[in-house]
Amino acid sequence: MNNVQKIIIALTGLAVSGSAFAYIDPGTGSILLQGLLAGLAAVAVAGKVFWLRIKSFFTRKSGDKPEDQ
Amino acid sequence: MTSIAEEDYKFVRESGLITELIDSEKLLPETVLDPAEHIELDDNAVYVLEHPRLEAVSYPYEWSFPLLKSAALHQLEILLESLKYGVTLSDATAYNIQFKGVRPFFIDHLSFRKYEAGEYWGGHKQFCDQFLNPLLLRSLLGVPHNSWYRGSLEGISSEELSPLLKWRHKLKIGVLTHVVLQAKLQTRAKVKTVSKKALARPLPLKSLQHILEGLRSHITSLSPKDKEKSVWENYTEEHSYDDQETLEKKNFIAEFAQAIHAPVAWDLGCNTGEYSQVLLENGINYVVGFDYDQGALEQAYARADANNLNLLPLFFDAANPSPDQGWAQLERAGFKTRTNAKAMIALAFIHHLSIARNIPLAALVSWLVRIAPNGVIEFVPKEDPMVQELLRFRKDIFPDYNESHFQETLEKSASIVKKKVISKSGRVLYWYSVDS
Repeated sequence: MNNVQKIIIALTGLAVSGSAFAYIDPGTGSILLQGLLAGLAAVAVAGKVFWLRIKSFFTRKSGDKPEDQ
Repeated sequence: MTSIAEEDYKFVRESGLITELIDSEKLLPETVLDPAEHIELDDNAVYVLEHPRLEAVSYPYEWSFPLLKSAALHQLEILLESLKYGVTLSDATAYNIQFKGVRPFFIDHLSFRKYEAGEYWGGHKQFCDQFLNPLLLRSLLGVPHNSWYRGSLEGISSEELSPLLKWRHKLKIGVLTHVVLQAKLQTRAKVKTVSKKALARPLPLKSLQHILEGLRSHITSLSPKDKEKSVWENYTEEHSYDDQETLEKKNFIAEFAQAIHAPVAWDLGCNTGEYSQVLLENGINYVVGFDYDQGALEQAYARADANNLNLLPLFFDAANPSPDQGWAQLERAGFKTRTNAKAMIALAFIHHLSIARNIPLAALVSWLVRIAPNGVIEFVPKEDPMVQELLRFRKDIFPDYNESHFQETLEKSASIVKKKVISKSGRVLYWYSVDS
């Protein structure tokens, strides 16, 4: 048994509940997809932070007037 | 419930989620009983829960598109709500949803467990197989899910659906990710070793909620490809008038319903649920409707939804009803096993089986009366334009299909309480009762 099989079995074990009739097969494709979506979300968040920094850099530069006007 | 699930049980109950879901009528109520008094169930039980009995049990392969869609949205809502309480669901099976009328209820009280930070959604694939993909089959390709689902029971996998899609279907992000990409990743994982790192990345709660909300808005937007949305929303306009024949039929059904006063009645060939509604308005508490026409079922759904009726319209082919199937053929009960009606009606129904499907009239009648001890069967004579339509392209090989033969066979297994001719073409309503 290789590591991947072990991980898959471990994940399957986690997801199975006590009932004999509650079938579940998480499926490697599903797990990989969720990992990918999590990664994409992280990239999106990082991108957003980066973009806000750029935006604030420029707004500070051009914004000579005080904020309360 | 045994000690294996005790810890999760306590955590989930203490979180307040169960009370909230029961109060908002999203989860079936529960009563906690003393295990010592129910030792016959399981002598290792630490908790015994009792739930109210449902009037009807149904399965996703018997649901119309709007029922499956509403079950899918309900499943997502339960999980999103649970996450707010630090709870998740151990699976996402469609068999955990049942209906009261057309209102979905979650029924698996033991699939709630503690959510661990960063964990993956264990039910994702199951959700796609059992809800998303069957809905997409109809929505993108115009093919109803019922026959395929009945054959596979666990739904339609992304690997099966993906090759059927055209490139334009794949432009939608929900289809691209959950169907196409998932199928690709699944296929690749079979031949290529997946790195440990790829499986070890945590899924933040926000990302999980984002996936669930994305699925929710995608599914909300789905409608059958072969139908305009408005079709099942406009049923009242199509049936707003009552001609004399319909009125007489309705009066007869109303009189029958008032006399029988059954808790549950079955309406075979329910069409848009017009006569189911008459039953409900005249003392029957719950009606399960059966029909094989998807359009009619969708209109019946709309009728039940708009009028808040205790009507559950299900997909059903009388010549081939749902069998006992699944594990040991005990897991999903068939149509016959679930028969619990005290009353039934079969209006404009028998000619579809007798003429169109070659079921001998005598066999059909004896099958019908075994469904419920009281009922109304409409006999539609050969001269009727609807029967003529069925005979248009085929030879009339039905010498026995006539009213006297019908009455004769009916009287063999039941007594006739009342009969009434309701149309010029000679349609007759027979009210029967099986002597117990």
